[in-house]
Amino acid sequence: MSDPSSSVSGALIDAELAAFLATAGVSISVGSRNAGHLPNLTRAVGCRIADDRSRVSVFVVAEQSRELLDDIRANRHVAVVFSEPHSHRTVQLKGGDALIESLAAGDRQIIARYRDAFTAELGALGYSGLFVQTLIDSSAGELVALSFTPNAAFSQTPGPKAGAPLGGA
Amino acid sequence: MMRPRLDAIRECLEGAVPGIMATCSADGMPNVAYLSQTEYVDGHHVALSWQFFNTTRRNILENPNARLIVTHPRTAERYRLQLRYLRTETAGPLFERMKARLAGIASHTGMSGVFRLLGSDIYRVVDVERVPGPALAPPPPRASLLAALRSTAARIACCRELDTLLTETLASLETHFDIRHTMVLLLDGSATRLYTIASRGYEHSGVGSEIPLGQGVIGVAAREATPIRIGYMTLEYAYGRAIRAATEESGLADALETEIPLPGLAESRSQLAVPIRACGRLLGVLYVESPQELRFGYDDEDALVALAGQLGAAMLSLQQASELNEEAIAPEPQARPVDGSPLVVRHYAEDDSIFLDDDYLIKGVAGSIFWALVRDHAEAGRSTFSNRELRLDPRIRLPDVSDNLEARLILLRRRLNERDACVRLEKAGRGRLLLTTRRPLTLVEVGAGGPRPTPACG
Repeated sequence: MSDPSSSVSGALIDAELAAFLATAGVSISVGSRNAGHLPNLTRAVGCRIADDRSRVSVFVVAEQSRELLDDIRANRHVAVVFSEPHSHRTVQLKGGDALIESLAAGDRQIIARYRDAFTAELGALGYSGLFVQTLIDSSAGELVALSFTPNAAFSQTPGPKAGAPLGGA
Repeated sequence: MMRPRLDAIRECLEGAVPGIMATCSADGMPNVAYLSQTEYVDGHHVALSWQFFNTTRRNILENPNARLIVTHPRTAERYRLQLRYLRTETAGPLFERMKARLAGIASHTGMSGVFRLLGSDIYRVVDVERVPGPALAPPPPRASLLAALRSTAARIACCRELDTLLTETLASLETHFDIRHTMVLLLDGSATRLYTIASRGYEHSGVGSEIPLGQGVIGVAAREATPIRIGYMTLEYAYGRAIRAATEESGLADALETEIPLPGLAESRSQLAVPIRACGRLLGVLYVESPQELRFGYDDEDALVALAGQLGAAMLSLQQASELNEEAIAPEPQARPVDGSPLVVRHYAEDDSIFLDDDYLIKGVAGSIFWALVRDHAEAGRSTFSNRELRLDPRIRLPDVSDNLEARLILLRRRLNERDACVRLEKAGRGRLLLTTRRPLTLVEVGAGGPRPTPACG
């Protein structure tokens, strides 16, 4: 990759964080805002990190996210939060160049693995598998990928350090 | 598609699945945060907990528009709410309700000491939208709360005496609501504490035990005159602990009844305290609890608030009726023979506490009533007494005209029965009492600072 921003993003997301975002049983939520600064949000059903960790893609059900997708087409601003229920570890990424893309090869496998990981995570906390799978069901609607270059990352784990920038940014 | 009503989806605000919130800064940067607490306020408002000075907080002060996703705890349906921030409350009923619930949530999620309520942020709900997606079938409902309320109301309406009213109310909660651990506490005339007048479902009734206003779930519900409901076990609001803390830190400790242990579940996982009010004033608290998490929902709270309303009105009208119907004069019955060694009745003037031999019985107003009764019995040979004369008796210092004499007599009667005492108080017609004793009485008045018996075992 020749994009100079990729090295910045690589610094934001180290290998350990990439594994957390893309393979842990984390709850993933995506935020946007429209021209009038009215925010919108939706739940994502999986995450892919580029090999060089410069780009992050999260998958959303289009039917559940219409206004959010309109916002992103209009201004490309995005905020994504990843939170692991049992540890409360929470990370927020921001981007200003988000694009809506079709799923790539292998994305459906990522989504299936995410479903298993999130089901196991919440199962350990007492939520039934059926409940979790209903919550993140994506079988019916069209899925799209929201891809962006993180330009900021913050820890939002509850406590005194919440809001601190990550990765020496 | 029809817009869902907020009150129809308020179960989603219980927080079994944390809410997610999106806000936006003045310069247009979106932000997303997970919420540990969302609270239904009314059909058009929700409150969110403000715990930290974070981006969400900065954003809503700059730009009041927000979006919230909440999830139904059983069907997994999601709703997207459009919100507009109105104001923050840092004291009062809503704040205290949220603070108590947050303590339960914090303890449940291992966040005690991290979660602390700084304020209740109140939002107007501009729009509610169902997020398209599958839903699980809701589980069959528990017994209808309205039917339970109706059956209970019918039983309450038949009660002619306070004692029966209390017993029937708690029995109805078990029979019709399947709520098995319950108590009623009344506000003391001094309005600084509550005393237990009736309980059901505990090994020891705890009748006569006290809780200071503002302590634990019960004390906060009374002080703020608002229902307090917690769905998880929390040490912060465990009332036993609250009492101990209060005893250690305040001068009220001297005045608190600590010799009668509070009833209560050792591992209470759901607690609901509902104020009993009538004619604009607080009479006491109806308290229910369960060893099961999230046992009481919004609907249970609504039902018990309605029940407490009827209970309060009934208590007040029974009190007034008993004052009107009291018979002043009654013939003395034939004295019953007594034998055996004398029972020593000690009265400590400083707090009106009474000991029968070495067993603590009661103190305060109920103690002064008992002392007056046994004195008249020993010195003038009297056995029957009217409520009216007790009400006017200068020795009894009822703290307030509104203080419920009937309730004090119930307390006294129940304590005597529970202690299996040789002295008993029985009802002898409308507004009259009969004092009976199986052993002769020796009365001992102890002045200030007099030595007290060491507490007996159990």
